Amino acid sequence: MKDIKEKEISYAKYGYLFIAPFFIAFLVFQFIPLIQTIYYSFFEYYRSGLKIIGPNPVGFANYEALFASDFPKYAGNTIIMWLLGFVPQIIVSLILAAWFTDIRLRIKGKQFFKVVIYMPNLIMASAFAMLFFALFSDNGPVNHALVSAGLLEQPFRFLSSVWGTRGLVGLMNFLMWFGNTTILLMAAVMGINPALFEAAELDGCTPRQTFFRITLPMIRPILVYVLITSMIGGLQMFDVPQILTNGKGTPDRTSMTLIMYLNNHLFSKNYGMAGAVSVILFIIAAILCLVVYFTLNSEDDSRKIKKRDRFKPRKEALQNNG
Amino acid sequence: MDKKPSHVRTVVAYIVLIFLTFLCLFFFYILVVNATRNHTQIQKGFSFIPGKSFIPNLKHVLNDANIPVLSGIKNSLIVSSLSAVLATYFSALTAYGLYAYNFKLKKPAFIFIMLILVMPTQVSAMGFINLITKMGMLNTLFPLFLPSIAAPAVFYFMYSYMQSSLPLELVEAARIDGCGEFKTFNRIVIPIMKPALAVQAIFAFVQSWNNYFIPALVISDNTKKTLPILIAALRSADFLKFDMGKVYMLITIAIVPIIIVYIALSKYIVAGVALGGVKE
Amino acid sequence: MAGITFKNVVKTYDNGVTVVPDLNMEIKDKEFVVLVGPSGCGKSTTLRMIAGLESITSGDLFIGDQRMNAVPPKDRNIAMVFQSYALYPHMTVYKNMAFALELAKTPKEEIDKKVHAAAEILGLEPYLDRKPKALSGGQRQRVALGRAMVRNPEVFLLDEPLSNLDAKLRTEMRSQISKLHKQLGTTFVYVTHDQTEAMTMGDRICVMKDGIIQQFDTPQNLYDYPCNLFVAGFIGSPQMNFIDATVEKTGNGFALCFGEAKLNVNNEALAPYVGKTVVCGVRPEDFHAEPQFFGEGNAIDAYIDLDEMMGSESYLYLDYAGQKLVTRVPARYAKKADENIKLAVDVDKIHVFDKNTELVICQ
Repeated sequence: MKDIKEKEISYAKYGYLFIAPFFIAFLVFQFIPLIQTIYYSFFEYYRSGLKIIGPNPVGFANYEALFASDFPKYAGNTIIMWLLGFVPQIIVSLILAAWFTDIRLRIKGKQFFKVVIYMPNLIMASAFAMLFFALFSDNGPVNHALVSAGLLEQPFRFLSSVWGTRGLVGLMNFLMWFGNTTILLMAAVMGINPALFEAAELDGCTPRQTFFRITLPMIRPILVYVLITSMIGGLQMFDVPQILTNGKGTPDRTSMTLIMYLNNHLFSKNYGMAGAVSVILFIIAAILCLVVYFTLNSEDDSRKIKKRDRFKPRKEALQNNG
Repeated sequence: MDKKPSHVRTVVAYIVLIFLTFLCLFFFYILVVNATRNHTQIQKGFSFIPGKSFIPNLKHVLNDANIPVLSGIKNSLIVSSLSAVLATYFSALTAYGLYAYNFKLKKPAFIFIMLILVMPTQVSAMGFINLITKMGMLNTLFPLFLPSIAAPAVFYFMYSYMQSSLPLELVEAARIDGCGEFKTFNRIVIPIMKPALAVQAIFAFVQSWNNYFIPALVISDNTKKTLPILIAALRSADFLKFDMGKVYMLITIAIVPIIIVYIALSKYIVAGVALGGVKE
Repeated sequence: MAGITFKNVVKTYDNGVTVVPDLNMEIKDKEFVVLVGPSGCGKSTTLRMIAGLESITSGDLFIGDQRMNAVPPKDRNIAMVFQSYALYPHMTVYKNMAFALELAKTPKEEIDKKVHAAAEILGLEPYLDRKPKALSGGQRQRVALGRAMVRNPEVFLLDEPLSNLDAKLRTEMRSQISKLHKQLGTTFVYVTHDQTEAMTMGDRICVMKDGIIQQFDTPQNLYDYPCNLFVAGFIGSPQMNFIDATVEKTGNGFALCFGEAKLNVNNEALAPYVGKTVVCGVRPEDFHAEPQFFGEGNAIDAYIDLDEMMGSESYLYLDYAGQKLVTRVPARYAKKADENIKLAVDVDKIHVFDKNTELVICQ
């Protein structure tokens, strides 16, 4: 009776159809380039004057050259400047999140503060860096102000000082990201069952104890997530130091980041070395990606239920405001 | 009885908040003020009172042949708008494909996207430049927005939103009503996803508007440059010879539109940040 | 003409789980059939197979005379009401109801006529311009019905449509849906886990468990003649009492013995069970406190664990010979907790089940 396999009602093909554009775009613009990047990292392939040298296979020579170069120093710079931004960022964000969600403090104008502190995140990093460069240049407004206020005898040359430059990069990273982190942490704190805080208050917890014994442990997954994404952001640090130091990582390449180094190789068309740098970055990023994946996944069980609620009230808020 | 310590804490909290607010706003205030002052005024020092050179500074910027601001704005607008549209539409489509359908590769596809959720694009930049050179897209705007079709972070946001706001029964109701699968997506799913699409469109737009690394590698033709490249060009020029009024004006042009849009939509955006969790 | 016929239908999910092993069922035209059973019994899957929302692994599904296995939902001439109502949140009530017709390219005037006709029947006319968000649960429920009605389907499929309503509304909507069924004169297939809904609404009820039909009959027959322990326990509230009893041969028949009770049942079907244990099923209302019911050997003297006064009657939770029993007796005969009560078992209404096969022996 059923000699032909009948056409089933199956919608599977639409699933494939709908996810196809994403995967094609990913394949073309990221995966194939990544494979090529890895491939050329094993080749001598660069431009010298108008002549293209290579590609000649050289095995791990590029990697050896890489580690013999200043690459480790740039990795150190990146980490230092990331820490200079991240440490104050996480401390300030935690404090602000605790304050904003503390019913006993009753802070007014929360929405205003949130709007203000998030704003720097949307600013073009290159323009922001350019602005800082202008403001903090040797005879820029900041030096003017400091000298005329009598705080300094002569202008401080921020951009010629190792820690001045690194400090400025850290400050900018801090300003750009602490608002974002605060909002994330606040959302996490507000996701905690309020009854828990009430119970703590009844049990006689001081605000400090509540924070360290209840809030912090409850938002740990989000903290991990913030840490890892911030590390990935740090790994990508480029626009700010690039513009601030005009791509030179001055003084004496102490503010040169890994991506700036990659950028230099790309501009000078040294594809072999650029490939080797990329592969190292890829390996670090891949490890961090795995951590993100597992944090999101382990969180999923507890969050699955919460997530449903997570969107609901705010979504309504969105609609009401619109 | 413990009214007092709470009082002190409130005062401390406000002081810190006001200081941070000052820190966030101060630089932008100086920026806008300096954009209205001329070079000599700026050199003399610092002022909280705006000057009268807004129009001259603007004219200087617009007339400088080395910094094609108008085409920069146009290019930035084209790239950012298209990025926003592509990223949101195709991420929603992908999320819907994985959310509403069952197929063999569903789980692997989902895991794969989650794994590359925060992978920086810089790591494949070298191959990317090579590839688009071969495709003849070097020095065009296409490589700046086409890759937005694959935006894992936007996908994740859309997927979470669907889990909370798009019951599958709706899709089934549409099926029974005789709505085709693609039509269901466009006529039922997209309208329901509107709040999520709006928030992510804003983020995608801003991200693309501010993007510097890839455009700087792809674009060398002056008429194709986007705003961040122009700003960078300003930095590499001989700075001391520069008209500072012009510098501040150009930065203002790059930043202020975003700030205005942000203030207008800040409620959506701040709520979106809290929801998203994931953002590059 | 739209009866529904399942012939050897099997449903196995992609993960290898078979939820419906072999389904044979015939639903007549214009019949109101209720599929009932505990969650996971395959009732929803069965409904969704009729709708075309689930594919059929093997076997045949007919609606009317047409084999429907490969026909997409929209061409099956069916309409469905979902548990969550599944109203399109961004469309007005009018648009929600008109959507299917619009897609079918029905002329505008005709859509208008049909939507208004349905809205009138359901009392939805004042709300046509509202979005679902601005409606109460009961109103949303009616919009969902209206959306199904405008399509003039031959078959109405309803998937737990009342479970999101509060108790009072539920009773109200129950009668409204029954009325609608009579008015429309189409086939209704209704899924629920609530046996009260099933009993009050269905022309026939199909009790399912583990994807297998246990019994498919009228409400009265299901109640009076359950075919096995599961159906006996599922239909009726409070539940039927199950008492382990030993079968003894007496002079003129058999007796079911437990505690002091010796219930005389003269049915030859019990012959093979002499000396063995069977399960006696007694409905709570078949215990009587009124004196006229007492006869030879049918009395039990039980301790009352708990009493629930319901007004006209009282539920007594008893402990008798180590078995827990529930009875429903008129309030004036009831006693309080911690007392003993003497009750007579109505032997004519007793159900006897095989302890192993769980099938009925006699009733």
